[in-house]
Amino acid sequence: MKIKSVPLIVSLLFITFFIIFFKGLKNSNIYVPNINYEKEIPSFTTQFFDTNIKINSDEIFKEDYYYLINIWSSWCLPCREEHRFLMELNNENNLKIIGFNYKDNIKDAKKFLDELKNPYSKIFLDKDGLIAIEWGAYGVPESFLIYNKKIIKKVIGPLNTNFVDEIKRLIK
Amino acid sequence: MYGRKVKLRFFFIVLILTILALSIYLVLKSLEENVVYFQSPSEIKNIAEFKETKIRIGGMVKKDSVSINMNEINFIITDFKNEINVIYSGAVPNLFEEGKGVVAEGFLKDRNFFMASKILAKHDENYMPPEVKAALEEK
Amino acid sequence: MPSLIGFYSLALGSSLSFLIIFFSIKNFRNSKIFDSRIIFFSFLQLLLVSISFLGLIISFINSDFSNETVFNHSHTTKPLFYKISGTWGNHEGSLLLWLLVLTLFIFLFIIKSQRQPTQYRILTLLFQQVIIVGFFVFLLKSSSPFNYIFPIPQEGLGLNPILQDPALAIHPPILYLGYVGSSIIFSSALSATCLNYISKEWASHIKQWVLISWIFLTLGILLGSIWAYYELGWGGFWFWDPVENVSLMPWLALTTLVHCILALEKRSILTSWVVVLSISTFTLSMCGTFLVRSGILNSVHTFANDPERGLFILIFLFSLIFLSLFVFFFFHKENRKIDSSIFLISKETSIIINNWFMMYFLSVILIGTVYPIFLEVISSEKISVGPPFYNKLIAPFLIPFMFVMALGPKLKWIKSDIKNKIYLFIFFLISLLLSILIIKNLEINFLLNTLLVSLAFYLFFLTLRDFFVMKYKNLSQTIAHFGFSLFILSILFNNIFTTEIITNLKVGETYTSQKFNIKFENLNQKQGQNFKSIVGKFTIVNSKGKIETLEPELRIYNQPNITTSEADIRTNLLSDRFITMNTVQNKDYFNIRYQIKPFMIWIWLSILLIATGGFLSLFKKKYEN
Repeated sequence: MKIKSVPLIVSLLFITFFIIFFKGLKNSNIYVPNINYEKEIPSFTTQFFDTNIKINSDEIFKEDYYYLINIWSSWCLPCREEHRFLMELNNENNLKIIGFNYKDNIKDAKKFLDELKNPYSKIFLDKDGLIAIEWGAYGVPESFLIYNKKIIKKVIGPLNTNFVDEIKRLIK
Repeated sequence: MYGRKVKLRFFFIVLILTILALSIYLVLKSLEENVVYFQSPSEIKNIAEFKETKIRIGGMVKKDSVSINMNEINFIITDFKNEINVIYSGAVPNLFEEGKGVVAEGFLKDRNFFMASKILAKHDENYMPPEVKAALEEK
Repeated sequence: MPSLIGFYSLALGSSLSFLIIFFSIKNFRNSKIFDSRIIFFSFLQLLLVSISFLGLIISFINSDFSNETVFNHSHTTKPLFYKISGTWGNHEGSLLLWLLVLTLFIFLFIIKSQRQPTQYRILTLLFQQVIIVGFFVFLLKSSSPFNYIFPIPQEGLGLNPILQDPALAIHPPILYLGYVGSSIIFSSALSATCLNYISKEWASHIKQWVLISWIFLTLGILLGSIWAYYELGWGGFWFWDPVENVSLMPWLALTTLVHCILALEKRSILTSWVVVLSISTFTLSMCGTFLVRSGILNSVHTFANDPERGLFILIFLFSLIFLSLFVFFFFHKENRKIDSSIFLISKETSIIINNWFMMYFLSVILIGTVYPIFLEVISSEKISVGPPFYNKLIAPFLIPFMFVMALGPKLKWIKSDIKNKIYLFIFFLISLLLSILIIKNLEINFLLNTLLVSLAFYLFFLTLRDFFVMKYKNLSQTIAHFGFSLFILSILFNNIFTTEIITNLKVGETYTSQKFNIKFENLNQKQGQNFKSIVGKFTIVNSKGKIETLEPELRIYNQPNITTSEADIRTNLLSDRFITMNTVQNKDYFNIRYQIKPFMIWIWLSILLIATGGFLSLFKKKYEN
């Protein structure tokens, strides 16, 4: 009896280990979508991507219109991956995509857009990453869906088909 | 002769069991004493009693909050909801910057002041400490 | 193109596994002679994986950004050396390197084990192929290093500058040689258990593999520590960070195994123990890979993490664990015929006692490392376990550990007694007095530190004496133990006598203390191949009027745009002077950290001595005859 109980206990021990590790694994996902309803958008001043004209955030967003803010950079690989979803969303009539070019080299950024096409209706510069902080962004890429100057949806990390469907549903 | 051997074996088993129990006790006890809990500024605002234990605070370094003199560095850690002042007189890691995630280890003086003894470095600029991320998401 | 070849040869190599497994099973059934086709296929597999790895290296050298791995981790302006080391400086490439070493080692094993029973060789190969297939599936399915991206980017993202360092460039390959070496021990132990071949012959044959992996693991950890010391700018070399702990755990298991295998070889005892250790060494290595790569741990050394990959390693790891549990419980039999009695005062007893200590150290580290994961899953409380935990639980137990370590080698196998050993006592008194003299005037825990220092001295003197008395007999063991005593002594003195100043200075300012003045003379700019650097010049005048100039650097890398601080370290035999500087948010002040660290170089040298001991032990037969 004694001899058989040892393997049993040891196996049970390892099974427990497995379950704990398995659960722990789920905790560690880096990108967790966060629904952040009805939060006012921050105010800030920025400048256009290709000209040096300064603009205040109040002038960018009109009421009763959907905007998708996308923080991106040419050096960020997930941005490259999510680009086709932006192109897809660009076909939606009542949505404007606004890009914030995060800590980037303008030459590289232009090359990036030349290669992959430009889904943005407007692009603004965020050279030192300060605007991203105003938005409470964790990094690049990150997207915010805005309606009536309020954040209705936030996507941390690259967009995927699920998010695209959800965004399409939200703006219907 | 046989009796002696059995006795010796019994003695051995008891010895091993005692040592095992003792070491488990030791490990658990010092685990309890030396574990460092992680808290966000908001959690600190809400705690009822102060303990003299080391904790870690994580959040973002608030913009324009860093000031420095010969002996110490002062800055504010924020989770965009609550803030806490940090006084620190040690070495700063490379990636310590305003608007970036930070984890500071030290002791609470009161609800608004934190004496940091260590600022933890990370290797990667775009890295967000998971604790900070979780704390920021809760708001 | 090279990455295309790489991909196809990898895929082809994986299909060879099935051929090898097929022929091995066929050969296992009627096994008079080892089928030479198996050797040929193993060689072919090794060749294909090498070609695949070479393909990846060439893609890195040519900066072929159509390859996703290259795009993610390389940049055209990076120096050639780091382009090459970038190959294994990332998740996909490092797995390919694992696989390469796996196939290399099993090929070497087959060639080197010709005097062993055929069935045992085939079964070992089979177990090893299980591991190899696991890695192939993992590589091809979820972490292929040959993913193609289109449109082809103009420029890569670059390698994290902190990894652009000579020590860290060779650290992973060396460490992997150790890890993968333990896989051979694992497979061989399992197959020997199945065939009831755990014996003296098996021990003396597998001993080489144990030693080789142990040496590489030791060197790998050493390189990692040296890197942490000068690159992370904290002035320490071991932070009890989870990522460091996971490399130490297999090392402890392997060190225990090195000693047990001797007992098995000499006396046929501790058979189950040796099997358990062989299994745990490799599972701990795999567990380390899992913990590091899955991002389940919160560590200062961050790696990109992907839960799917973590899941794969987790399932693979536990399949191996359950496989070995099954083999162990169903096939393992203690051999009752052999006299396995152990007397209280003998070499065996000392080895067993120190095994227990090693297992204790191992469990402390294991608990400290995984406890935060458990707590988070169970109570979603976030915690970390810091150095005080480890120091408190490990340091005191080093005292009896070193005592047994000093006396053990003086004892004989089977039965021994202590006669005419007055010198042992005298040496102990000398060490005790010496350490009391040193510790007496310091404001630290007197009892603990005195005992630690005196026991380290005791081991030091006894092994030093052995060099003269024993001549060449047991030279390898004497050197390794001598190295260990030196290691503990240097760490203790390093901890006790370190001086540290942290201050914030502007250019032109001087920090004044009783011991020395630090003057921030000026700042200069320099241009490197892929970074700009700001060099600060500091003159340090100590109380004796000795002047020393130190020039720490801040490097601003172009791609990715990251600043690193390069410590300036002056080393001599007695101490290291270590200085780093850091900017604080573009303010005029620089954060300066100046440390005087005694006996720093001896820590590195002593680990080298320990490894040398292991190396000499590989040729031991020649010494004894």
